[in-house]
Amino acid sequence: MAKFVLMLPHAPDRYTNLGEADFMELMKDYIGWVEDMTAKGKFEGGEKLMDEGGKIVTNSSGSIEVHDGPFAEVAEILGGYMVINAADYDEAVEIARSHPHMKHNETIIIRQTDASAD
Amino acid sequence: MREAADIHKLLDETVRRERGWLISSLVSKFGLSKVDLAEDVAQDAIVKALSTWPYKGVPDNPRAWLRRVAGNAAIDRVRRAAREFGIDDDWDPASDEEDVITPSLRDPELDLMVLCCDPAIAPQDQLFLALKTVCGFTAAETAALFFMKEDALAQRLARAKRHLKAQSGELARFPTRFALKDRLPRLLKVIYLMFAWGYLPRRGESLVRADLCREALRLSEGLLAQTDGNTAGHHALHALLLFQIARLPARVDASGRLVTLEHQDRSLWDQTKIADAFAQLEAAKTSETLTRYHLEAGIASAHAEARRWDETKWPVIARLYELLLDQAPSLAVAVNGAVGLMLAGDLDAARARLDSASAYPHAERFPGFHLARAKLARLDDDPDAATAALAAAKACETSAPMAEHIERELSLAV
Repeated sequence: MAKFVLMLPHAPDRYTNLGEADFMELMKDYIGWVEDMTAKGKFEGGEKLMDEGGKIVTNSSGSIEVHDGPFAEVAEILGGYMVINAADYDEAVEIARSHPHMKHNETIIIRQTDASAD
Repeated sequence: MREAADIHKLLDETVRRERGWLISSLVSKFGLSKVDLAEDVAQDAIVKALSTWPYKGVPDNPRAWLRRVAGNAAIDRVRRAAREFGIDDDWDPASDEEDVITPSLRDPELDLMVLCCDPAIAPQDQLFLALKTVCGFTAAETAALFFMKEDALAQRLARAKRHLKAQSGELARFPTRFALKDRLPRLLKVIYLMFAWGYLPRRGESLVRADLCREALRLSEGLLAQTDGNTAGHHALHALLLFQIARLPARVDASGRLVTLEHQDRSLWDQTKIADAFAQLEAAKTSETLTRYHLEAGIASAHAEARRWDETKWPVIARLYELLLDQAPSLAVAVNGAVGLMLAGDLDAARARLDSASAYPHAERFPGFHLARAKLARLDDDPDAATAALAAAKACETSAPMAEHIERELSLAV
């Protein structure tokens, strides 16, 4: 069984103007899905990324520069990532299809981890 | 495997319960004047906690997890608020952080409950306030529970909270000690109302809101532990709650359908709770006055001790309903009393009772009234009148399982 990383981006203002009750309902969808996938042995883990902050470190002609993430200007920010177990990309895509993120947001980026690094 | 619906239910109940606990703890810490802040802090903390569970799954002990995370978030928020509102005169968040999580008062929820039962606040508003603060219901849930518009409820809550915040001094700090005795009848009433709404929701998908019933029982237990137990009616109310909760498992079948008392599998009744209930009923005899709770617990006990439907002592039940009607007249009591009289064989008295019940303004909209009329018509061998009464019952707004029950009765009648 291979591991796949699901990256979950969302619009920067996706959750800022959401009412409390709506937010809770949305989170319950996510939590329910994760419980379901965990029970099926498909869910490995994940991390939520902090909503605020972020740094970008760049090497500009030999000198390291540090910037605050210019997230307000980008179309999507990364909300977090999850690691799932799947046989191949086909199964990983099937799992992503059922993800509540596809109902409440627009994009999931899937990448397989390179097991030879283990 | 936990189904999605179970997860939703678990989260709803955990969140609701913990919100109430957090608000109560924070109020006990900062005082009543900061009840809004306490609500905000509790909500922020819960949102923060819930937004991380999608990535980690629900912890094995969600309550402990939520208390820890919410407690920490509360401390952060309170540190900021302390500067903003100038709350802190004698509280150093660094020195007793534990206290936010483990409040110093014995039972902050009970304290807040006592405070909500302020005589200056209308009884129904006391209930709203208790549900919103002590029991952790959101304004939207509370409004839905009582079929109110959310802004109408918000206005009443705001008014009630103004009274609440105006309390000060020793009473506000140690309400349980100072006000419990005076306010106990109100507390019992709020617990009773909470239970009644849980036991028979008048709208929605479920027949029973078991979480509300359990909440009422829990608060009643907490109160019993803090009082001398001689307060009129408290043991009786507690007995009533136990009798009713004991029968809940038999009240709904596997597919969520209502099972009437007559057809319930009595082996499903919780005999431990029934034994506890009888012990409470025994203790209730020491009360100086006979309250409505005594009478209602008496009725419930008559059902509980009947091993079969046809062993039920209907004359006793009918008599208790008559006494109850004198003490606490209401449409539901009149209708149930009429049914008791029918089953005791006194059809004329039942008819008179139903006639008097029809004078209540809401009678036409109460499905129980029409179901009782249908029952009487059947005993009178008048199937047309029975069908008409059932059709009237069908037109009433009620919970989905109750509507289905009426539908089934109707299909049997035709």
